[in-house]
Amino acid sequence: MQTLSITSLIKDSPSAVAILNTELRFVAYSRVWLDDFCKGQSSLTGKNYLDVLPRTPEALRSILKECLANGTKNICEGRKFIYPDGTLQWLKWKINAWTDDSGEIGGLIILLEDVTDTKRREEILAKAERVGRIGGWEIDLSTNQLFWTDITREIHEVPDDFQPYIETAINFYKEGIHREEITRLISNAFADGTPWDTELILVTAKGNEIWVRAKGEVEMANGKCVRIFGTFQDINNKKKVELGFKKVSERLALATQGAGVGIWEYDLVSKTMVWDNIMFRLFGLEYNPNDLSYETWQNSIHPDDRKDGDIEIAKAISGTKNLDAQYRAVWPNGDIRHMRAIGVTQKDSNGKVVKIVGANYDITELKNTQMRLKESEDSFYGAFEHSNTGMAIVALDGSFEKVNQSLCDCLGYTMDELTEMSFQEITHPDDFKNDVHLLKQVVNGLKPSYKLEKRYIHKNGHIVYGILTATAVTDMNGKVLHYVSQVTDISPQIRTEKKLTRLVNITSEQNERLLNFAHIVSHNLRSHSSNLSMLTNFLIKEKSDEERKNLLTMLRGASDGLNETIMHLNEVVQVKIGAHEKKKDVNLYDTLKNVENNLSQLIQEKNATFELKIPRNLTIKAIPAYLDSIVLNLISNGLKYSSPKRKPLIQISAELAHDAIIISFKDNGMGIDLTRHQKKIFGMYKTFHRNKDAKGIGLFITKNQIEAMNGKIEVESTVGVGSTFKLYFENHEHYKN
Amino acid sequence: MNITKIRSVCIIDDDPIFIYGTKRIMKEVDFSDEIIVYNNGQDAIEGLRQITNDGKELPSVIFLDLNMPIMNGWEFLDHFTEMPNNNQEDILIYIISSSVDPRDIARIQEYDIVNNYILKPITIEDLHKILKNTGGIN
Repeated sequence: MQTLSITSLIKDSPSAVAILNTELRFVAYSRVWLDDFCKGQSSLTGKNYLDVLPRTPEALRSILKECLANGTKNICEGRKFIYPDGTLQWLKWKINAWTDDSGEIGGLIILLEDVTDTKRREEILAKAERVGRIGGWEIDLSTNQLFWTDITREIHEVPDDFQPYIETAINFYKEGIHREEITRLISNAFADGTPWDTELILVTAKGNEIWVRAKGEVEMANGKCVRIFGTFQDINNKKKVELGFKKVSERLALATQGAGVGIWEYDLVSKTMVWDNIMFRLFGLEYNPNDLSYETWQNSIHPDDRKDGDIEIAKAISGTKNLDAQYRAVWPNGDIRHMRAIGVTQKDSNGKVVKIVGANYDITELKNTQMRLKESEDSFYGAFEHSNTGMAIVALDGSFEKVNQSLCDCLGYTMDELTEMSFQEITHPDDFKNDVHLLKQVVNGLKPSYKLEKRYIHKNGHIVYGILTATAVTDMNGKVLHYVSQVTDISPQIRTEKKLTRLVNITSEQNERLLNFAHIVSHNLRSHSSNLSMLTNFLIKEKSDEERKNLLTMLRGASDGLNETIMHLNEVVQVKIGAHEKKKDVNLYDTLKNVENNLSQLIQEKNATFELKIPRNLTIKAIPAYLDSIVLNLISNGLKYSSPKRKPLIQISAELAHDAIIISFKDNGMGIDLTRHQKKIFGMYKTFHRNKDAKGIGLFITKNQIEAMNGKIEVESTVGVGSTFKLYFENHEHYKN
Repeated sequence: MNITKIRSVCIIDDDPIFIYGTKRIMKEVDFSDEIIVYNNGQDAIEGLRQITNDGKELPSVIFLDLNMPIMNGWEFLDHFTEMPNNNQEDILIYIISSSVDPRDIARIQEYDIVNNYILKPITIEDLHKILKNTGGIN
């Protein structure tokens, strides 16, 4: 053995090589050995391997001993050792025993390599593969056999000894578009070396469907495919999340599309604006996402609303509040739409707002409805406040929630007083039942409103006639919230109507009386005239002087009667004419006293008592002459028709009724049988007693006179007890001081 | 003329001149032997009732005025129809009035017992007609 030459050959070897003798002492070694394993030592020749490399692990020491003893060789592609100080080393070796010329074992040749870096990378890669669920594969084009890494097998859920081929691998892809797609991609790769990167579903050996990312690359040489390899990644979870997200997004898109909600995003850093297609539609713009900026939006906003819009955006950017703004948008065609924009901000790690994402929708309809509602409300309250009709909003319990001035005016209450009251309190008791009955029908939904002519009680007690229209106001479910009552005061009409009815009655009564009067006059005139003509005829034929004298006396009587009748007629006509005279304030007491004086002779004759119970200051509105005549007539009647059985007593008193002054003339005379004479008592030429003075004209005139003053006369009488005549005068102001 | 006079006649009227005149004309035509006069309905009812109570016959003809005090002609008629009498034949009642009121004339039609209506003043011709009507009987 040419030792020197070998030694120097070894010295320059590019690998770490060492030759040891049987005692494991260095015979020769390469410089690389010295650099890689024994840095800092000058010469190793003759030194023991284990002294030079004291950290040599026990396992390797055993291998060295074994190889030396048996003359065997030991090859290791890489083994990891962890030293007591925690450091890690991967070693790769080849150990052979060498023999001398005689065949004796001379020592060991050791080829040692520190592969720590490589091995560590491999290990990390394998780990990464596992963590990332990325497997590798490669096709052996000579055998069409496929090489799969462990992860690839795991993803396919096949046993470790599974041997795949291209066909079987393709068949793992889900039938349909997935399998077709991978077949197409692989075919392309074979043909022209196009790499692929796709996401497809495959069905594992256990039947599970999973999403994988398949990546393939091709190495070509001289236009021929020489190698196909790639990676294979389980992206099922990621894909599911992604698909779920996509689904949600689609659903949201669908919802926003349907609801007309536009979605926008404004990046404050890049100053870019993103709109979905609905946003463009909302602003009446062509879909043009490439030509879009913050200004596009700003320009669409009504000039009057821009400032407020900018303030809202500024508030959102400063983080004061999320964006919520209402504004008007002006379409290119000039249409104005009401919009609402809401947005949330996104902040960077420093808390600075970098993005606003939001929605925008058209609220024109809502706005218009609101405006119409407001207009309607305004006009209702305007009408309510200023209506000439009394109006009230009445709660379910009948209390007034709101009343207008007209209602207050017609009922005499102030607004404050009335809103403390209920309709029950101001309704006439006789009309209450009817009102409540109708109200119940409304509450029960039988009718939406009702109309009723009813009476209210004014604050000062008098009756107010009204036409009530009550309408229920309901919520969307038909529940009655309150009522709107409208009250038209028809008191003036009712009063006029009553007055008219009275006038009509008086008129027809007067007509009736006039007709009677005409017949009575004609009757009486005829009786006198017929008497006159008869007596004249007798007189012409009569020869006897005595009888002629007798006839002449009768003739005078007849002519006096005619005269008297004509005077009565004149008197009645005077009443009608006198009705046009003005009524004056007349002191009743004075009038009565005056009449008493005029009748004093008759009173004395009859030995009558005259009782006057009249306040000294009582005045009535009357035509003085009529009042004199009436009083004189009634008092003299009382004296004329006194009962011979008792001393005459005439009592005159006054009484104040609600709207009249009643003056009673009560006597204890003969009385009149009213069951027989009720209808005739105030008739012309009606007499009821055997009294020579009775002409049947007094009460007729009296009735005409009192009616001419808008009053009336009534009588109560019992035969043998006495009569009471009652005069009713209109009551304006009772006493004058 | 051959006319049978009436046994007894009754005038109910409050007008003394009318009574005088009627009596005088009755004498001229020899109308009746007996003339009974009442001044109002009340007197007439009382007087006639007395005659019946005495068992005598009532006058066969009654002249009745309508407008009278105390009890007028209408009321008299109402009472008279209720009153019993001893007469063999119907009593003829003539309404004698100055009234030309159509309502009065219509009302007269309602009374069966009223024979006719004579407008004042009463004439000789009126009495002759009455005598003709009653002549067959008396």
